[in-house]
Amino acid sequence: MLRVPEMIATASYNELVRRHFADPQHAGDLQENHELTLVADVSESDTGAHIEMSAGICDGTIAAMAYRIWGCPHLIAALEHVCTTLEGQPVAGLENFDSADITQELSVPVAKAGRILLLEDALATLWAHYASADN
Amino acid sequence: MSGTAVYLDFAATTPIDPHVAEAMRSCLSPSGAFANPASIHIAGRESAALVEKARQRLADLLGADPRCLIWTSGATESDNLAITGAASFRAHRGKHLITMPTEHKAVTDTFAHLEKSGYDVTWLKPDSDGLVEIDELESQIREDTQLVSIMHVNNETGVIQDIQRIGEICRARDILFHTDAAQSVGKLPLALGELPIDLLSLTAHKFYGPQGIGALYIADRPGCRVLPIMHGGGQERRLRPGSLPVHQIVGAGTAAEIARDEMAKDIAHATALRDRLWQGIKTVPGILRNGNAEYSYAGILNVSAQGVEGESLMLGLEPVCAASGSACNSTSGESSYVLRAVGRDDALAQSAIRFSFGRTTTTADIDVAVERYRWSVDHLRSIAPLNAPGA
Repeated sequence: MLRVPEMIATASYNELVRRHFADPQHAGDLQENHELTLVADVSESDTGAHIEMSAGICDGTIAAMAYRIWGCPHLIAALEHVCTTLEGQPVAGLENFDSADITQELSVPVAKAGRILLLEDALATLWAHYASADN
Repeated sequence: MSGTAVYLDFAATTPIDPHVAEAMRSCLSPSGAFANPASIHIAGRESAALVEKARQRLADLLGADPRCLIWTSGATESDNLAITGAASFRAHRGKHLITMPTEHKAVTDTFAHLEKSGYDVTWLKPDSDGLVEIDELESQIREDTQLVSIMHVNNETGVIQDIQRIGEICRARDILFHTDAAQSVGKLPLALGELPIDLLSLTAHKFYGPQGIGALYIADRPGCRVLPIMHGGGQERRLRPGSLPVHQIVGAGTAAEIARDEMAKDIAHATALRDRLWQGIKTVPGILRNGNAEYSYAGILNVSAQGVEGESLMLGLEPVCAASGSACNSTSGESSYVLRAVGRDDALAQSAIRFSFGRTTTTADIDVAVERYRWSVDHLRSIAPLNAPGA
């Protein structure tokens, strides 16, 4: 059974969540070809949340990121925030993601904090693909 | 409420009518009717007179004898008193009860509790619109059936059950018939003196009265009684103990009188708004109207959209205040059990939005809702995976 967030009736969204939700710059597909393109497709059966995430890698750097998402506003914002943060960073950034920081920045309610773990799964999948492809 | 909010959640609660607020305010001062109406001194008698005047106003709205009305704290308490009280009163005759899974939680949870207490409950499966199938109801009635409870207007979809026919079936077999009419009292004409209804629950805050006050109608006929579920005083024919909240009751009575006067106009207004809203959004690809377009209360429009997530849809709707499924259910964490019971899959039930409107809603409010709904669905689909749930 799909479940909507426990906090839906009282959910509040901070300004960052609202901004990313209204204008998700990285939503969609990668626009250019890259030296290496990594793709992750993860979902969570309880809520039905579903993420498709891709990263274009050039010279060991995350050149571009994109995603598609079916999920709650906090998860949309978290994806957007991560993509914005990781672009231009060394590819190891995929491995070093820590959900605690983003949970705090987006003021994710405690009851929904587990949802950000799906984003961790997506990034871990991208990293695993990189590790196996690279090297 | 924020001045920018567009309130389209009248099925959850209505704003208090200014005349109602004023009538209540007049009770809430040292010179007002604050005395306990159970007291026999002059101040108490003044309060008691106001309580009875309000009871008469509510009875006039319902086409009922005022002596058949018991004040309660609202429809949830009325449902509990009606169902538990009637089942207890009739337990020596039989312990079979009938209801539907699409009822409000105040009803389903009460029946579930009775089930655990040794009663046998039949849960009638609704048709795909949420309506009771009369043949199925008749086939489930047994020798030991004592109570049928089916709501008048569904709080999520707005579908209207044929309470006349259901009541006739029950009356012919000496089975008590209870209906939760929280969504219809003050909005649809009711003549309880002519309808075969034994027990009816209502609450004032659904028809521009205050929260915290409701009533239970108990028909005056042989075999129709309930046993109290609370104890502690002789108020309300010993069925509902506790000091009566005079200002709340005065508010309920005033709201009932206004509802009676304004009903025809209210229905026409709600119908025009509902049609405008549906015309505005019905071309959204993959949209589905939940409920029955013909047998529906005009003040509720419930729609699902394929491929969108419910909470994000709600945020995209802002500043429109609508409900994701039932407002009473929206803290439970589950997608709408009502919509799942009528066959909607989880994804569609989860994407359901209930728009409900009323006396103070304007066409401009509806136009904002149309614009925000269309934007929100388009936006969420544009960022969704192709194989998203419900897509």
